[in-house]
Amino acid sequence: MQSRLDRLFAVLLALAVLAGAPLPASAETEVLVWHAYRAAEKAAIEKVAAAYSASHPGVKVTTLAVPYDAFADKISAAVPRGKGPDVFIYAQDRLGGWIEAGNTVEPVDFFLDKPTRDRFIPSTLDAVTYKGTVYGLPVNYKVITLIYNKKLVTTPPRTSTELVATAKKLTDKAAGRFGLAYWYSDYYYHAALQNAFGGRVFEKGTAKPVLNAPENVKGLDLLVKWIDEGILPAEPSTALITALFNQGKAAMIFTGPWFLGEIAPEIDYGLAQLPTLAEAGNAPMRPWMTVEGAYIAAPSKNKDVAYDFVKYLTDRDGARIMALEGRQSPSNKAIYDDPKVAADPVLKAFRTQVEVAVPMPNLAEMTMVWSPATIMMASVAKRSTPPKAAADKAQAEVLKSLSELRRK
Amino acid sequence: MTAPSHRLRFLAGLVLAGGLAAWLAHGFASDARRRVAADGEVRRAVVALRAVTSLVESSGGEGDGARRAVVAWQAGAPGVVQLRVARGMQLEASSAAGDAGGQAAPRRLAREEKPLYDRAQRIATAVRTNREEQGGRKDEVEVERLPSGGLSLAAPLDLDGAPVGIVELETAPLPPAPSTPWWPFLLAVLVPAAAFGLVMLLAGQRRAVLAVAATFLLAASLFVLSRGTVARIGEERRQAAASVAERVREQASLVRSASVSLGLPASAADPAGWDVDPFRRPRGEVASDGSVVETRREAAVEEEVRHLGRSLLAAALLALALLLLLGLGAFHRLGRTIKVNRQAYVYIAPALLGMMVLVFYPFTYGITLSFTDSNIYNTQKPLADLWVGLRNYGDILGDFAFAKKVEGGFVFNYLNFYWTLLFNVFWTVTNVTIGVTSGLLLALVLNTRALALRPVYRVLLILPWAMPNYITALIWKGMFHQQFGIINQLFQMVGLQAVNWFDHPFTSFLAALTTNAWLSFPFMMVVSLGALQSIPADLYEAARVDGASRWQAFRAITLPSLRPALVPAVILSVVWTFNMFNIIYLVTAGDPGGSTEILITQAYKFAFERYRYGYAAAYSVVIFGILLVYGVFQNRYSKATEA
Repeated sequence: MQSRLDRLFAVLLALAVLAGAPLPASAETEVLVWHAYRAAEKAAIEKVAAAYSASHPGVKVTTLAVPYDAFADKISAAVPRGKGPDVFIYAQDRLGGWIEAGNTVEPVDFFLDKPTRDRFIPSTLDAVTYKGTVYGLPVNYKVITLIYNKKLVTTPPRTSTELVATAKKLTDKAAGRFGLAYWYSDYYYHAALQNAFGGRVFEKGTAKPVLNAPENVKGLDLLVKWIDEGILPAEPSTALITALFNQGKAAMIFTGPWFLGEIAPEIDYGLAQLPTLAEAGNAPMRPWMTVEGAYIAAPSKNKDVAYDFVKYLTDRDGARIMALEGRQSPSNKAIYDDPKVAADPVLKAFRTQVEVAVPMPNLAEMTMVWSPATIMMASVAKRSTPPKAAADKAQAEVLKSLSELRRK
Repeated sequence: MTAPSHRLRFLAGLVLAGGLAAWLAHGFASDARRRVAADGEVRRAVVALRAVTSLVESSGGEGDGARRAVVAWQAGAPGVVQLRVARGMQLEASSAAGDAGGQAAPRRLAREEKPLYDRAQRIATAVRTNREEQGGRKDEVEVERLPSGGLSLAAPLDLDGAPVGIVELETAPLPPAPSTPWWPFLLAVLVPAAAFGLVMLLAGQRRAVLAVAATFLLAASLFVLSRGTVARIGEERRQAAASVAERVREQASLVRSASVSLGLPASAADPAGWDVDPFRRPRGEVASDGSVVETRREAAVEEEVRHLGRSLLAAALLALALLLLLGLGAFHRLGRTIKVNRQAYVYIAPALLGMMVLVFYPFTYGITLSFTDSNIYNTQKPLADLWVGLRNYGDILGDFAFAKKVEGGFVFNYLNFYWTLLFNVFWTVTNVTIGVTSGLLLALVLNTRALALRPVYRVLLILPWAMPNYITALIWKGMFHQQFGIINQLFQMVGLQAVNWFDHPFTSFLAALTTNAWLSFPFMMVVSLGALQSIPADLYEAARVDGASRWQAFRAITLPSLRPALVPAVILSVVWTFNMFNIIYLVTAGDPGGSTEILITQAYKFAFERYRYGYAAAYSVVIFGILLVYGVFQNRYSKATEA
């Protein structure tokens, strides 16, 4: 009995030693990339990874698709413990939180030479810059633009005056038809108005919230004016906008590239730049852009190779595949001269729009803004609180939660 | 059965508990000594770093001036392995062994020097952030321990008040940490044990005397031990302060002489500002002339000693508790039950282990978290550093400002705990009342024997329960849509105004209430139906014979018979409804303005929208407390009804 137990222990011990023993090191350097893509985008990034591996002997880039919902939390949990990928691709809004948490995102400022810096649309590089240090290379951007039903609108409006006039003509509330529809009670969508007036969430270059800046209030005032014109549906939501547009009951909508897949095949649509606002001295509407950056994980063992791959991904060859096959809008400027990309009306439309877009703040403090801003937008959209009072209230709330957070 | 010897038990208890206390105390004491020694080393190194920084700054911070300053300084600073000054991508000066000849500064930073560049960026960001927020949140002076045993320190290089670069210093390996001898701690166990031996001979088997004597001896010995330890640590802390002051004097004269030999203007830097904390705030323990400021030092000693004293007290209390438990036989009895019921304990062991890992650990962690100020900025710090005591509870429970009087009425602060609690209680009471009433009514109807298609109705009425409740919640939310929801469309069909359901706390509440009523009646109906069917029909027959009306029969027969089934169902339903996260979160989302939030959704928002983990944990503990009190009372009450 005793000896049998002993033998069992010996076997277990041997297994444990074997399991813990390092595998024979392979000569290849492996770079693991996490992304949250599906379908065409997934195929595109896999193609870029394969192309890179093929042209760089001794390096193997593997990609792993992680479900979008779980992606950010997985990064926060795995990377600081050294268990995650070498490279991960995600929108810039979580960047600040990861940097504050530490040991997650490797700064790439050091690697970044002038030609690489100049390769990007400048605002997209700003989006992945946190407090003066660049933390990733921008892969693509997403931005809201004007999408219209060609059957209802022949020439898209260029100014807010034209917009309201066209929209009024096409609105028939009783029949549930609206000239203009967008998720105006959502702060992200509303930001295009606010930014046109020079509005902002944080004072430039700092983390000081200014939700009730006079420019922001002007943006809200304009929204109220549009609501009172009766051209917008009540209680908007993405589901509602989609339904209205696909039934031909919304002539114009403000939305981004994510919406294109939702449009019913029978709808003939066009893309145009968001109008300029007469109320803001003919300044263009400046939507927020979200930029997907490729970041290097701080605990990665192959940072140089990882950076080289990220550089390749955002260079001409990589960007071309991501644009034409992944249907993304690359942050690489030069790619828009490519004849095939230039001929694509969708990519072209977003490229024009991004010129006036503003990167969405990537500060960790931004997470504290969403909930008060949502309440502010809801109360303004429902006309229950005047814009100034709603903005003051939201500002007070953000300041309060920030001071509680920074108390110690 | 022979009584086990009280004397031996107490003696064993004394030795074991004393041993435990001595072991813990030794651990605390050597930790404190190591910390005091390490802090002293770090502070001395920081003084050197700040001194050379001020010299480099006064030399202009770049070019040959900076390089000469580094050389002049290092010649007079033993114990420094290397010093590097970097600005942007440029290495301005370096005394590292490899940076000579072709590699000599000035030059561009090499790939291996990325950490230096990143460090400079990080420190510059820290300086800007701290300035902007008027506080210290990020380290401006970074200290890292190198594998060699030395320290690597970095501080910002300021020119005209703005961080332009970094000065990084590497020290020689530090002297080994002082070890704490064991003998005082051993004595603290052996002396009371020996004394107790004497007592044993005198007191015989009298338990009370033995208990008092053992407790007194152990307490006295631990008291003496802790006094000695604390005094010793205090003395070492004073010595550390003195050595830092000495380093300040040394560096001040070094900087002076270097300035003279380099022909620099006398440095304007105040040596008192060299001894700083990580946020570059002077500690104030050393004056400008390099003398120790006694009041500040004593305050620091006090702080250090209080910390240690508290840990030692905790260890002593633990030991005394152990002594009494052992001496009075609690462990003996526990051991016996385990032995007798060995099989039972083996059976429950896996479940116990599972509970430990899956229930008790998270539970304890949550409670611990509630005493801290954990939030998104400091998740990487240990919880002990974030300890705020009962502050979160004070903030939650002590804030009574849930309504403010303004002209023409009140304005409610919907974020206030008491508003949410009031709403939560109201929500629970209304829901359970509606659920029980409608469930019971439907059950009575379904219990009619002559009813045609009874099984069909029954299945149909149970359906709402069978569907996942978040799907139901989302469907109802859609039905309450102002413009496209079916409810408002019905209203308009009969000529009523469309209601903006989520615009007013009351209508918003009605929407959530309707949804939850839809979800909760099937459960009550099923429970009541089962109970109804178990009531013997002859009771009703007898009632009819006696001439009772149907209402009388219902009051006297049906309700009392339903009670044993309904009471537990109501208890459960109260707890479910109280914490009905899905309905509130998905249907009203707290609209308008957080007025229809219940406690559990509010706690969720504090944790995942405001990122105040400690506060949210305290919120959850309060919810747990409320439900615990409710459970205890309800249990008593239902026990009373069973009898």
